[in-house]
Amino acid sequence: MPNLLEVRDLSKRFTSAGSAFRKARSMHAVNGVSFDLAKGRVIGVVGESGCGKSTLARLILRLIEPSGGAVHFDGDDLLAKSPAQMRRLRARMQMVFQDPYSAIDPRYTLARAVAEPFEVQGVTPEKPMTDEVAGLLEMVGLNPGLATSYPHQISGGQKQRVGIARALALRPSLLVLDEPTASLDVSVQAQIIGLLEDLRSDLGLTYLFISHDLSLVKYFCDEILVMYLGRVVEALPDTAAPARHPYTRTLMESTFEPDPKKRRLIAPLEGEVPSPFDLPPGCAFVDRCPNASALCRSETPALSTETGHAVACHHPI
Amino acid sequence: MLSVRDLGVAFGMVQPLSGVSFSVNKGETLGIVGESGSGKSLTAMSVMGLLPLSGGRITGGSVEFDGQDLTKLPERAYRKLRGGRIGLITQNPMTSLDPLQKIGPQVDDVAKLHLGLDGAEARARTEDILGTLRIPEPSLICERYPHQMSGGMKQRIVIAMALAADPDVLIADEPTTALDVTVQAQIIRLLDDLVKERDLALVLITHDMSVVAQTCDKIVVMYAGRAVEHGPVEEIFDRPRHPYTQALIACIPRGLDDATRLTGIEGTVPTVLNYPKGCPFHPRCPRAEAICATDPPEFSVAGDSAAACHFAEVANAQPA
Repeated sequence: MPNLLEVRDLSKRFTSAGSAFRKARSMHAVNGVSFDLAKGRVIGVVGESGCGKSTLARLILRLIEPSGGAVHFDGDDLLAKSPAQMRRLRARMQMVFQDPYSAIDPRYTLARAVAEPFEVQGVTPEKPMTDEVAGLLEMVGLNPGLATSYPHQISGGQKQRVGIARALALRPSLLVLDEPTASLDVSVQAQIIGLLEDLRSDLGLTYLFISHDLSLVKYFCDEILVMYLGRVVEALPDTAAPARHPYTRTLMESTFEPDPKKRRLIAPLEGEVPSPFDLPPGCAFVDRCPNASALCRSETPALSTETGHAVACHHPI
Repeated sequence: MLSVRDLGVAFGMVQPLSGVSFSVNKGETLGIVGESGSGKSLTAMSVMGLLPLSGGRITGGSVEFDGQDLTKLPERAYRKLRGGRIGLITQNPMTSLDPLQKIGPQVDDVAKLHLGLDGAEARARTEDILGTLRIPEPSLICERYPHQMSGGMKQRIVIAMALAADPDVLIADEPTTALDVTVQAQIIRLLDDLVKERDLALVLITHDMSVVAQTCDKIVVMYAGRAVEHGPVEEIFDRPRHPYTQALIACIPRGLDDATRLTGIEGTVPTVLNYPKGCPFHPRCPRAEAICATDPPEFSVAGDSAAACHFAEVANAQPA
């Protein structure tokens, strides 16, 4: 399968404003991230808060401007596009946000919310708009009768379905899903994940799935990128691949199984996550790593590819 | 140590909690698990005697602690107990910490109030407890403010406060929900160690079945303000008899070991204003029949566990 998305050395540096009392500081929210996403595949990006996974999602859609690197979408160099060209391209690459409560205008009916992408893009749907909206609502498992309802009249899970319907309105090929179930109850999360699985096979979609939940990512995705403090530290080619980076292993050992017979032995983890404004030289995981050596404190390990399983570690497991 | 029998709670005309029973002994961890709006936090508030603060009242049942019924305890006596022999850990550490006060004095106050220690004794105790919670350099931490610390560290401070008066029972309401998984694992391990070392009775309230599976001895599954199933954790996970428990377990991704598709539960969690009549789960239940919509089910006991379902016997006969 050809690549739908190619990300090369993508970086974003944020700088805080300085003042008379404080020097301006800068941090790399995303630092040299590269990966390919083939058509029809699902890549999961997993990491803890502050690792840069949501920033990465926004950089790819150019919702924020990268400081460096390149993004190619279906052959197009996104960073070379003008804002108008970018807007047209975004019809084919859409995002579903974590918080369905703030993603939909509370004053819009659901019909208007779902029809908004057509308005923004200046596209006239093939069918009359009311039929188009009804079709989209049905596609995400909502009763078309809800079209005249307002967001406050429906539940969180239903709102997230509306968020997905909106994202699908212009028949995109890529969906970037930024923690689409993080604010939902597990029983509703499972519904939404099932819906996304169905839509993927019915519409031939490609997903970039951002999540902090490793079990969910393992369940839902084909490949996994593990991020820590702005960098991809490991790229697992499939969900069965054993962890090679000590951080990935820590993450796996910290994720509990829903089975009392498979309790984890939790090893104490030393150290704290360093401040992204003040990263230690070398590997960012060095203070929490059981395998750390002098080399790890001086040299940042590069993401080395061996048989498709890339790991950024001087002493991989 | 702590035994709740048939607890009911009302706010005005609304009855958000009814028929909740559980007990927990020393050295034991009980998990109360349920989705949002199931009444698990309200259960914690009732046990802590904090309902009057939000305008609620206990309408029935008992909360027995060390031989006395707490529902009949006057507020003055409750104050001695609360934060003393019964400690509380909340989800968001910042609701328990004063942002304007250094850590040391905040923890000291608990021991001063409940154990009658003087300043120096209390501080020595504080540093000792911080040490047992594997907080590096306790004396330095005492001089810091909450905003200078990470979320995991703040939660450890809240646990230290809960431990400062040497409680018998610890109620932890979603203690790790706001934390990253690696930090969550550390806090869970800490709580596990405390239960063993101090012979504590721990009530762990959570929405996360995996956390329950990892750490609890017994569990109570709640739905729409009712306990629907309770028993030893292995039994509940191996042979869940209530359709809600079965569905809840089927909703959790199991990674690689199990490639079965997540099913989800049709419909949505009811809110307190539209709790269904009869069995609260019947509108979403695949097994529901006419009786489920009219008669609230009684608990059907099997071994050490019990499920409030009209068809619990049938469920038991079929492997879930």
